[in-house]
Amino acid sequence: MISIEKLKKYANNLEFDMKESEYETLRDEFEILFKQMELIDSIPDIEKYSPMSFPFKLEDAYLRSDEVTMSLDKKDALANSKDTLNDSVKVPKVVE
Amino acid sequence: MISGKSIDELRSLIDNGSVSSEELFNDALKLANECQSELNPFVTIINNYEHTSGKSILDGIPYALKDNFSTKGILTTGSSNILKDYVPVFDSTVYRKLKESGAVLMGKTVLDELAMGGSGLTGHTGYVKNPWDTTRIPGGSSAGSAVAVSKGIVPFSIGSDTGDSVRKPAALCGVVGFKPTYGRISRFGLFPFASSLDHVGIFARNVKDISYVTDILKGRDEMDMTTLPDEGFLYSSKLDEPIKGKKLFYIKEIVESAVTSTNKEVISKFMDLVNKLRSNGITVEEVSFDKRILEAIFPVYFIISCAEATSNNSNLTGFIFGPRSEGRTPEEVMKNTRTVGFQEMIKRRFVIGSYILERENQEKLFLNAMRARHLIVDKFNDLFLKYDGLLLPAGGIAPKIVPEKEADKLNNEYLILENHLAIGNFGGYPSITLPNGFVSGMPIGVNLTCAAKKDLECLQIASKIEEVTGLKNITSGGEVDA
Repeated sequence: MISIEKLKKYANNLEFDMKESEYETLRDEFEILFKQMELIDSIPDIEKYSPMSFPFKLEDAYLRSDEVTMSLDKKDALANSKDTLNDSVKVPKVVE
Repeated sequence: MISGKSIDELRSLIDNGSVSSEELFNDALKLANECQSELNPFVTIINNYEHTSGKSILDGIPYALKDNFSTKGILTTGSSNILKDYVPVFDSTVYRKLKESGAVLMGKTVLDELAMGGSGLTGHTGYVKNPWDTTRIPGGSSAGSAVAVSKGIVPFSIGSDTGDSVRKPAALCGVVGFKPTYGRISRFGLFPFASSLDHVGIFARNVKDISYVTDILKGRDEMDMTTLPDEGFLYSSKLDEPIKGKKLFYIKEIVESAVTSTNKEVISKFMDLVNKLRSNGITVEEVSFDKRILEAIFPVYFIISCAEATSNNSNLTGFIFGPRSEGRTPEEVMKNTRTVGFQEMIKRRFVIGSYILERENQEKLFLNAMRARHLIVDKFNDLFLKYDGLLLPAGGIAPKIVPEKEADKLNNEYLILENHLAIGNFGGYPSITLPNGFVSGMPIGVNLTCAAKKDLECLQIASKIEEVTGLKNITSGGEVDA
């Protein structure tokens, strides 16, 4: 069984926190996930298949020509940020 | 005026001067506002009529767009608090093409938060409800888009489908839902959930309307390197060509997995359809499939999608866009922002994704799920050499609403009748859900999935199925011969 402490570590690495009751729900989900993984492992000949990361082989893959087609200007790039200074996104000081 | 009318009917009305595009738009707005408090399908109802004249069949016709497609200058939230005030600075290709076609956007629709979910209950603006019975879910994640079409507000709407997020709500709301082959429609500007499984999908009330919209949206896009070259013809122009000698199959183990009396009734209606199709010259055969592999479909989907989602959503920090929480350090700002920005279900999925991607777990979890995906796709590709399509019930009827914390919780049972539609995402297959009658007063759907790139064939067979069922242009609240 995966520990709550370990789940807290993952959440911390993902830069968010969760309530105690939510970690318990998550731990229950992990138990189900582990069981389901055993099912996947038990599929005959699974090791003979390569991992698939795309639905099918793209026979007509292409690269677009090396020309500027679309880029965001500074104004647009900063338009949704809550705190900006000159041409930059402003964040709290890292070094005091 | 607009309610329940097909694209062909609306086209005629506009062309013969019986109605203007703006009148249709205002009519759609009125219907949307009337049902918003009861069903909640919209994040944003667009009050300003903006029409760029196009020369397509969609010119002047209102539609709704899922709120995870970027629309320049129009709020686009992904139905998440972490993007609740985000206004994109560029257009998605889907929105651009529809604008150029002359179609008129009237609303952005609610989804399960960041498209991760199948209930329609987890959007940041609250539950979306099923228009056939408001105590039941509409299905998700493209919940609002399904409801907008089912209520007759618009003749078509756009969704996205990573596991079944167009085809399942279509079934639960009694409309048609189609996801073409992976890459047929550009994903540029669609918020990514799980990039190797994400598809753009379309809702309408008949197959012809689906084909009209697909014709506008399909084709290569320089902004999405995974798009396929266009075949050079319109699906709508070939939809009614006679089809002969088509062979379909259904999977015995999925049909036999129905346990409840309601699901048994769903299967009974499905077998009625199989028999009717046979009487109409279409071969439908029963195929047996390893049950262990069918049971693995959902776990494989879950593992791959959680892993990809964790990575895809790591840019939601509060710095560049979205609301920003207070904090003394950049890390504290990010943590506080993400803690309040994501709901519980999303966080759980991210933690699972993060665990799966950890180096020591990758081989056993992520890579094995990807191997299983390969195996499943190979097996279906083999079947598609022998058959033109896979026919199955899309699932049971819409479940009752439960608290959103309970929705989409990982389930201990292997519900293969409810979870098989992800096959279509694994192989990038064209896949369409159509109405197949009613059980307990609720709509049920039948799904057809064909080999990759056989989109026209999929739509042609679907059109034949629609002819056989006689179920088209259904609106909830309208008259239906159930």
